Amino acid sequence: MGNAEHISKQFEADLDTTRTRVLQMGGLVEAQILAAIQAFSTGDAALVTQVIENDARVNGYEVAIDGAINHIVVKRQPAASDLRLIMAISKIVTDLERIGDEAEKIARMSKRIHEQGAHPAQRFPAIRHAAQIAVKMLRQSLDSFARLDVNSAAEVLKEDTAIDDEFRSVLRQLITYMMEDPRTISASLETVWVAKAIERIGDHSKNIAEQVIYIVRGTDVRHTSFEDVERELSKE
Amino acid sequence: MTWLEIGLALLAAALAVALYRQLREFRKLKRWASQSRLSDPPEAEGGWGEVFNFLHRHRRVMLKRRRELAQLMVRSRRGAQALPYGVAVLDADYRLDWCNDAARDQLGFDADRDRGQPIVNIVRAPEFVDYLRVADFSEPVRLGSPGGRRTLSLQIVSFGDEDHLLLSQDVTGAARVEAMRRDFVANVSHELRTPLTVLAGFLETIQDLKLDAGRVRDYVGLMAPQAERMKHLIDDLLTLSVLEHAPPPPDAERVLMRPLLQRVRAEADALSLGKHRISLEVAGSHDLLGAEREIASAFTNLVTNAVRYTPAGGDIRLRWISTDAGGEFSVEDSGIGIDPEHLPRLTERFYRVDRGRSRETGGTGLGLSIVKHALARHQAALAVDSRPGKGSRFSARFPATRLAAAAQKVQG
Repeated sequence: MGNAEHISKQFEADLDTTRTRVLQMGGLVEAQILAAIQAFSTGDAALVTQVIENDARVNGYEVAIDGAINHIVVKRQPAASDLRLIMAISKIVTDLERIGDEAEKIARMSKRIHEQGAHPAQRFPAIRHAAQIAVKMLRQSLDSFARLDVNSAAEVLKEDTAIDDEFRSVLRQLITYMMEDPRTISASLETVWVAKAIERIGDHSKNIAEQVIYIVRGTDVRHTSFEDVERELSKE
Repeated sequence: MTWLEIGLALLAAALAVALYRQLREFRKLKRWASQSRLSDPPEAEGGWGEVFNFLHRHRRVMLKRRRELAQLMVRSRRGAQALPYGVAVLDADYRLDWCNDAARDQLGFDADRDRGQPIVNIVRAPEFVDYLRVADFSEPVRLGSPGGRRTLSLQIVSFGDEDHLLLSQDVTGAARVEAMRRDFVANVSHELRTPLTVLAGFLETIQDLKLDAGRVRDYVGLMAPQAERMKHLIDDLLTLSVLEHAPPPPDAERVLMRPLLQRVRAEADALSLGKHRISLEVAGSHDLLGAEREIASAFTNLVTNAVRYTPAGGDIRLRWISTDAGGEFSVEDSGIGIDPEHLPRLTERFYRVDRGRSRETGGTGLGLSIVKHALARHQAALAVDSRPGKGSRFSARFPATRLAAAAQKVQG
């Protein structure tokens, strides 16, 4: 009996450690996005290098957490809510790693854009605004994972439409620039990639929030409209 | 029955009564002691009464001590709450136990739900995670607040056996000042180095190569504007430094507005070379009180900017409107306008919306800083209203205390 209790305590501790590691990976990824966007605004080459180098750390987290998860599954054979948590963590880690890749992509694109020199300064606010929404979504989805807060996770799903709107408005703006001055086409196309990367960050953050709902409720809300999710959650 | 038997029976009865009494008191004590919340101990007589009295006294002392402790706790929590720092109490594994409102606001804790949560689950910034891992807490660590708007300085302080305090402080202001100072030195050096490089290049060429007099004259002609640019920059720097350190401008010295405005307008005309339609409108007959040189410098800078950033054929309207409530000098142009995101930083030194353009037109990047300083010294405020592609309106608003009704109507 005492032994079983000891084992379950150890299991609990393993889960906690893994959860904290996932959140730390999230923190690093968030810092990566912020640095990448900063590099996009300023063209700071040192920052670009820093983001690219730090992506190795993000990947390191992914490998380590995957290893820990395999270990837990093999050794403890978790069931029910523990299994849900493990499965969700595995998916969240994949999303975080992809967000890291998007941040790296933004940094690389920023370098190219600034090397070309010609860039209307006006397009920065729209991109920065979209990035702010994306970072906020990521932060809130991680917060709701830390607290296992379903309502806060549901709010993240709602934000996703805002970022899609922002993406379309950036596209419209870029098209105007390209029509006005064909010299900006090449830099504008690179900027489209940056905007797309930000939009993808929003999507991945949404996935994380969906996993939080899955952990707590056991309901799969992927590919479900926001209204349906809200109805599902209000059933309680 | 013998007397002896009767005596024994009585003795037995008396003993039974006494035992019954003892047992009754004992049961009372037991019942009292088994309560989860102790009330006043029961009353009794004799030896039991004494015991109960002792208990009574002990209980009173204990209650008083407990009340004092509770008060002390409340007071220390209130004290921690009132601190201008964010304070969070963490256990040996850096799990959150308690935090004050400032910590909640700065770091985004949820005081109830985050209890027992590892602190790094909420404060996830890599700098902070590393700080805890390295566990060298002699220096604070700096990081952006969640949301990124503010800069925080965090420090862990160990106390008790294994507990920790997390102190956080909002250092946004200090960080900004530091960044500004750093940028200023870097900017000045950069601005001076660029023309200097050109000058040095030409000098080297003239020294090394045998050039004919015509060539030399050409080169000198190219060098002169660079020297001029350096001179402008240094003039502006000196002006700024004077504005920062000079005694406050006189509040009784009259600055005659009409001649001043005419002069500003003439300067605009000279700079525009007839490429813009420039108009001057004066409504009201007040003069300003203050330092003429500073006010003229502020106005000239505003007008120069309008000429520089308005394409040929555009309109520039200068206006001086004064009533007893206050005066306003405004420059409105139909130029390229300024994107709203730049507006808050416009008066920062060397802040340029478009670097290339500013230098092309001979700007030093200090003009609006000078304007802001000169106006502030006269308790006036600079307001900017601008729409990209449509034009801008810069206005300097002076309070009534800086106005003086014109002594006599000047014709014009």
